[in-house]
Amino acid sequence: MSEKDQENPEITKIKDFVKDGRIDDAVNIIALYLGDSTQDDYLKRLEDIFEMLLLLHGGRVVLRFLIEQLVIDIPSLLENLSKRDSVLRYSFLLLLKTLCENECDLFLPHSEDLLSSDDPNVREAILQLIIFMAGGKVEIEDESLINKITFTLADEKEFVVEKATQALISIGKKHPLWVTKAVTNRAKESPENEELKSAVDSVLKSIVTVEKIDEIVEEAHSEDELIEKEETEIIDKELELKRKEIEIKKKKIELEEREKELDEKLILEKEKTLKLKEEILEQETAAPMEADLIPKKVKKQLKKEESDIIDKEIELKKKDLEIKKKKLDLELKEREIEEMAIEEKEKALKIKEELIEKESELSQAEIELKQKIIKEKEQKMIESEIKRAVSEFMVLEDEEKDEENKIEKE
Amino acid sequence: MPLQPEHIEKFFEEEIDSKFKSELLELLRERIDKLCFKECEIDRIQCTLTPLCTRRMLLKLRLLNGLTIEDQPKFCYSVHKNIIFRDFRNKTVIYKPNDAYLYLVDFFDVFFHGDYRKLNKLFSKKDFRGANKIFDDRINNRDENFQYLLTDKKKFMIFKYDDKIHVCFIDEIYALCNANRENISDLELLYGLCKLFTRIYFPEVKLKLIPSSCVQITIIIPKDTLLTISKVPPTDEESKRDNYIWNAFPSDLDALSQFCKEINIFNDKKGNLAIRLNIGVRPEARMNKYSSAELRYRDLRLVFNIIYRLYNDFYILYV
Repeated sequence: MSEKDQENPEITKIKDFVKDGRIDDAVNIIALYLGDSTQDDYLKRLEDIFEMLLLLHGGRVVLRFLIEQLVIDIPSLLENLSKRDSVLRYSFLLLLKTLCENECDLFLPHSEDLLSSDDPNVREAILQLIIFMAGGKVEIEDESLINKITFTLADEKEFVVEKATQALISIGKKHPLWVTKAVTNRAKESPENEELKSAVDSVLKSIVTVEKIDEIVEEAHSEDELIEKEETEIIDKELELKRKEIEIKKKKIELEEREKELDEKLILEKEKTLKLKEEILEQETAAPMEADLIPKKVKKQLKKEESDIIDKEIELKKKDLEIKKKKLDLELKEREIEEMAIEEKEKALKIKEELIEKESELSQAEIELKQKIIKEKEQKMIESEIKRAVSEFMVLEDEEKDEENKIEKE
Repeated sequence: MPLQPEHIEKFFEEEIDSKFKSELLELLRERIDKLCFKECEIDRIQCTLTPLCTRRMLLKLRLLNGLTIEDQPKFCYSVHKNIIFRDFRNKTVIYKPNDAYLYLVDFFDVFFHGDYRKLNKLFSKKDFRGANKIFDDRINNRDENFQYLLTDKKKFMIFKYDDKIHVCFIDEIYALCNANRENISDLELLYGLCKLFTRIYFPEVKLKLIPSSCVQITIIIPKDTLLTISKVPPTDEESKRDNYIWNAFPSDLDALSQFCKEINIFNDKKGNLAIRLNIGVRPEARMNKYSSAELRYRDLRLVFNIIYRLYNDFYILYV
């Protein structure tokens, strides 16, 4: 603490509260102290708080409360720390270690966003916090986070790459398969990037040990089997769905056809009734209509109007029918497209299956190769031992012969 | 038994063929570079909080051998500078940056931030009048609390902030901050330090430079003061001067003898007691023990503490 800070009454108050164990009061005063700051002196005040917390016995508890109560939120905290000097930044990160190990829920939700921060110091800081979290009680099982970390293996800053490597190694100690998969996939995505390759290499070298190979292979097999099962289930369900869809479509078509037939029948019946009406009208007109005192011109007009109405009705029905036909055509096209998409999905799944099979074949081949090498070595050892035994035997025989010769001479 | 450091040391002493020596040294150089640039600096958190060499001594190795900032691991050097800055501002630091070296421009940046470019120019041109103006302005008008002294041959400039000493090596273009265990390798520098401390703490103590030999410091205990000192061991704890002369003075003399080439105690013409210390860069007591043992800043501080006590308790109080 600088001398000026020591004179600051708020800081001394906070200190006293922390020393007395009045954590809530300390947190409230810190909240007010930071709240009163202007844009210019916010960082200075934050640094004063950190400096104080770094030295105090209950500093970590206060910090936890500050984070929990959102007086300090992690993203802005890391961004602000990025602007301060490295000693303060890293000693503060170290202060967060136990908090990360025990309560990673406070940090994990921000991890992915912070990993894509523009500021390399922020990326480095969150990776360090991930390292702390991975070393703690809770296991990091978020595959998307692991994938996100693998992207920082190709970061432009070397120190970020180093931290990403360390983070993946620490996660990989508990979940070697996830990390190996994520890392190898990342390397496959950009095979020309040599730096990425070397980073991936160092991650894999640290994770994969002789003891862990079997675990990884077993896990991989079991995971492959699970994936295969899931995939076959998905395919079966998709096929069932397709069948059902086709049945529904067929039923729809049948219904539409029936509707058409019914419509046609209705039209025919209406036409018949109209004809009957016309006939009746004609018969009525054949009777002395003059008595009705209706002028002929009016009757003709009525007839015309009636016939016009009927024509319009027929036209409307025709148009309806055309619209229905178009709708049906569209539906048919949609079905075709859907079928095409399903076929493509099936193809992709098949390719995936093939890839998985090939991978498993490759791994088996690798294992077989290793076994062969071991057998060859064993054979060589046996042969060399046999040779040694034979030579020793020969020497012994020679010695016996020499002794016999000596005895004979004597 | 694996290879021990002593074996290598012995090899260097005994092996005549320089080819083998240079091969071994090349191996060491490669290892140092790998340690700094590939192993330590790449993990910045590690480099900041737990550097792989003790107190960043490999920076010092490069700096003292005339390598420039371009040849240094940059992040490590920036942290080193930052730690000195934080310590200067009384902020928390990972370790106390005692005997820390900086390039001169960075020294000015840390201690005289606003004027560091000007000071760097002035020092490079050896325009110390201009530099002194800046220092005086800071002391008189900006409430900065430090003392400074330029040595006679203008090879060193010494700064004193409270109990901390910083030394600028003007020709070598670097500075030593918080001097403590480092050796005082130059008589001019030793004389400068004595002058500065004498000016601040005991202005009436006589100081004399004996060229290419030592610095002579003469402390006077007036006759009248001597007469007040008890001739038998004191029983009263309150008589501090008696207690000091009878109890602490012999051990202080013993301590002084370790850091001085020569100590003369005699009565001058006026009957005063004169204690004359001849301090050299290589103390007499150590000359035969270790060839490299030289007077350190902390040793000199101890000498000054004793002088300060004698001066205050036996000279100033009497006057």
